[in-house]
Amino acid sequence: MPVVRIEYSDVEELIGIDIKTFLDRLPMIGADIERIEEDYVDVEFFPNRPDMYSVEGVARAMRGFLDIETGLPKYDVKPPLIEIVKDESILNIRPYIVCGVVRGVEFTDSSIRSLMELQEDLHWAIGRDRKKVSIGVHDLSRIKPPFKYTTVPANFEFIPLDFDEPMSIERILKEHPKGVKYGHILEDFDRYPIIIDANGEALSFPPIINGVITRVTEESKELFIDVTGTDKSVHTALNIMVTSLAERGATLEAVRVAEVSGDVMITPNLSAKKKRIKLDEVNSLIGLKLGVKEVVKALERMRYGVEVEKEIVVHIPPYRADIMHSWDIIEDVAIGYGYENVPCELPNVFTVGEAHPISIAKKRVREIMTGMGFLEVMPFSLTCEKIHYEYMRRKSNGRETKVLHPLTQEHTMICTDLMPSLLHILSLNKHREMPQRIFCVGDVLIDEKTIPHLAFLSCHAEANFTEAKSYVITLFREIDTEFSVDEGTDPAFIEGRQAVIIVDEKEVGRFGEIHPEVLSNFSLDHPALGFEMELMI
Amino acid sequence: MEDVLSPNEKKVLKSLSSSEKRIEEIAKETGLSKEATLQASYMLDDKGLAKVKERKRIFFRLTKEGEEYARKGLPERRCFELLYSKSNKIPISQIKELFGEKEGGIAIGWMKKKGWARVEDGMLILLSAPCGEDEFVLELLHNGQGNEEILHRFRDSIEELMRRGIVVSEETKEFYVSATKEGIALSNKIELEEEISQLTPDIIRRGEWEYKRFRRYDIRSHAKSASIGKIHPYQRLIEEMREIFLSMGFKEIKGEIIQSSFWNFDALFQPQDHPAREMQDTFYLDSMSELPNRYENVKEVHEGKVDYTEGWGGVWSEEFAKRNVLRTHTTAITIRYLAENPEPPVKAFCIDRVYRREAIDSTHTPEFEQLEGVVMGEGLSLKHLFGYLKEFYARMGFKDIRFRPGYFPYTEPSVEPEVFIEGLGWIELGGAGIFREEVTKPLGIKYPVLAWGLGISRVAMLRLGLDDLRKLYHPDIEWLRSEPIWRRI
Repeated sequence: MPVVRIEYSDVEELIGIDIKTFLDRLPMIGADIERIEEDYVDVEFFPNRPDMYSVEGVARAMRGFLDIETGLPKYDVKPPLIEIVKDESILNIRPYIVCGVVRGVEFTDSSIRSLMELQEDLHWAIGRDRKKVSIGVHDLSRIKPPFKYTTVPANFEFIPLDFDEPMSIERILKEHPKGVKYGHILEDFDRYPIIIDANGEALSFPPIINGVITRVTEESKELFIDVTGTDKSVHTALNIMVTSLAERGATLEAVRVAEVSGDVMITPNLSAKKKRIKLDEVNSLIGLKLGVKEVVKALERMRYGVEVEKEIVVHIPPYRADIMHSWDIIEDVAIGYGYENVPCELPNVFTVGEAHPISIAKKRVREIMTGMGFLEVMPFSLTCEKIHYEYMRRKSNGRETKVLHPLTQEHTMICTDLMPSLLHILSLNKHREMPQRIFCVGDVLIDEKTIPHLAFLSCHAEANFTEAKSYVITLFREIDTEFSVDEGTDPAFIEGRQAVIIVDEKEVGRFGEIHPEVLSNFSLDHPALGFEMELMI
Repeated sequence: MEDVLSPNEKKVLKSLSSSEKRIEEIAKETGLSKEATLQASYMLDDKGLAKVKERKRIFFRLTKEGEEYARKGLPERRCFELLYSKSNKIPISQIKELFGEKEGGIAIGWMKKKGWARVEDGMLILLSAPCGEDEFVLELLHNGQGNEEILHRFRDSIEELMRRGIVVSEETKEFYVSATKEGIALSNKIELEEEISQLTPDIIRRGEWEYKRFRRYDIRSHAKSASIGKIHPYQRLIEEMREIFLSMGFKEIKGEIIQSSFWNFDALFQPQDHPAREMQDTFYLDSMSELPNRYENVKEVHEGKVDYTEGWGGVWSEEFAKRNVLRTHTTAITIRYLAENPEPPVKAFCIDRVYRREAIDSTHTPEFEQLEGVVMGEGLSLKHLFGYLKEFYARMGFKDIRFRPGYFPYTEPSVEPEVFIEGLGWIELGGAGIFREEVTKPLGIKYPVLAWGLGISRVAMLRLGLDDLRKLYHPDIEWLRSEPIWRRI
């Protein structure tokens, strides 16, 4: 999740409050403080509030939360002077574009960095790593409107950011770091999105890279912002970008976007959407008895505009990306009211506790096994073919579950037996005192079904079949189950020193002396006996 | 003091004086075996009552071959005498025929070396063979007189015989014991009487204990700890949490490790393009599950085709929802249970293993245990969620708790509980919230659902003082043996 660095000088300038109060109250609006340093604090904000991914956005929210400036923030947007025209060819590739102009910007080194960070965080949170939405910020003084949003073939050339020679689109996708990273978004196309100015200069090759010509520096005073994408969330991203800059005192100016249909859209659109909520619903979800006034106060603290009619009409700030349901607003009522002011209460409902039969069985078996002197272990169920089959001298019967795209060679499948993992644990404990007796009650996957198993191992100089048999007899006496044995043919055990366990004419488990080759594979040099069965027989 | 002496120790002490005595001599006097005498002597030494001294002795003895030569004579002697009885000039080839290639060769070599014979044109010419010092030493050793003294007198011969493999040296230890001042003082007080060291069935049956004394134990001496079977410390913690839920009237539920994306994500209103659903975070499988009845309701909500939410927009893919995954959270189990049991009240919990495609390090493992509780009922609200959380965490031992707004894709409102831990401050522990209406309504759940969950390994780290989660799954057996069942905090 994005981490925003907030410098204390900004807290004083943009909020006008002391640092202690700020740090005290900040978590209660919904934030995780990562690190408190001498002159700044790093704060993690949640993915539902991308409007707080900038210092200006945090300041705006906190001014409301601390009753310094409440209600809907007002932003003036001057009428458009600049136009961008959409070409039909873009509609199948990256159809959405919205733009804005910001004038009178005062940049410093750190405020440019903060703007770039906001841009990157929005790419992650709203843009799904630029796939859905990507943002370009340009120095307006270097380019000549009107602009055109169109497509070009792969041999189209311009100088991208971070390079000083013209490159073709094809080369950018192969050689430019951003091209390599984000090129997959465009891999199905043979024409590529481009924004060009009246002189044919490339501003941007969305969602990959800007042209070097519009690079933003400390001297930049006027910005042109484009947001392209595949759905309407381009609006939210643009609104967050421009309102964040307006918080620093810049002037906003709209852009005419000429659609292919001939319609014209004026962006950014900073009008507030309205949503109605009911007082009853607020109180029943939070569990309080708030009056209208209290709800209005809490909402205004959270920077909503409110009109009270029969219901409460809430004006949603244009930078909020997360309000899709009335409960989203009610949560903000609870936050504005203060989570610390919501009481803790247990409802008076009678229910009976009930343990799951598998847990009961596992618990009983644990009692038996520990009674016989075994230590419980809880290995991973992820394993690999090498340990599960090769080391065990066993062959796959195709009933195991393999994971797609394993992260490591050690975790490619889920075990169908627990014993390989137990042997693996012994191999890690070779230097520890013998005898070593361990057991596990855990789940395995056979034919993609979860099946609880019990397995145990006893490893020491005198471990043999007779010892195994006596544990098996004891175990079955304790679970009150009759069983018989039959000769086994499991290659993991020594021939003639192994048995299968039969209950009600069904094979439920097996035990025996572990084959010396298996022991060597796990680099064990003491004999061992092993046992494994289905738990729920 | 005398009470802690064993009968053997008493016997040995009684036979000691201030001057050194050989162990064999003491053994003879006490009637004990040499081993028992030595053991008792060392025990007395430990107690400061006697002094045991070891002296090393070197002893020479004949090898098996040496014994044979001592009886029959050295090969060169036997050869010389046999030949001399025939002629004083014999072809070498004939000697080797008589004595064999090897022994004949040895004999000829030594006869030449000792000046008993010389070789000319393939013929051995015999001279005279006086008895040598080596043969004298051989005889001494044969008579068992191979002490250190012999080395000083016949060093060259001994060394030569050793090189020939006829003689070997052996080191032996001799033990001498004397009583200390304290030992003598105690020795004078001891009355030799038989004590009971180990109570036996015989002693009980015969009632011997009535007139015999029990030997006292040194209660401070070390004893080995017993090796016992134990439940894994982590499992014990899991059991503790199960008990808390059961005692609060919750029903335990379980489910399959493999879940469709539908139950793991879609039913929980996670958008299909959500980053958590991508390959890099989730273990996908090469198989699919059928979608449940009423899945279209979920589809509609995602696409925003209902009146109560905007949804995520776009097109919701059935194929995508069918893809199987290793469950990434226990919520896949609880939501399915709620969908199948929509009648209130429901109080259920699930503690089980979940899977995340994450690189392993000290705080991340690809599988771990998660705990989750849900309460569904009429009129439930945020204050009741706070009530349950406070009660639940208090029973876990966290008395101070506070609630912070949080964010989870399937709850609204969402809460991050924090508990106060001495020395660490406020620690975030788990997450909670009320299931979104976008989650409950499409599945036919008509009442609010309170839910909370946490990764138990976080608690394990706090409670067991672990610095590395991998230890839970790949344990050091010594840790399992030594970690107390009841750890006092």
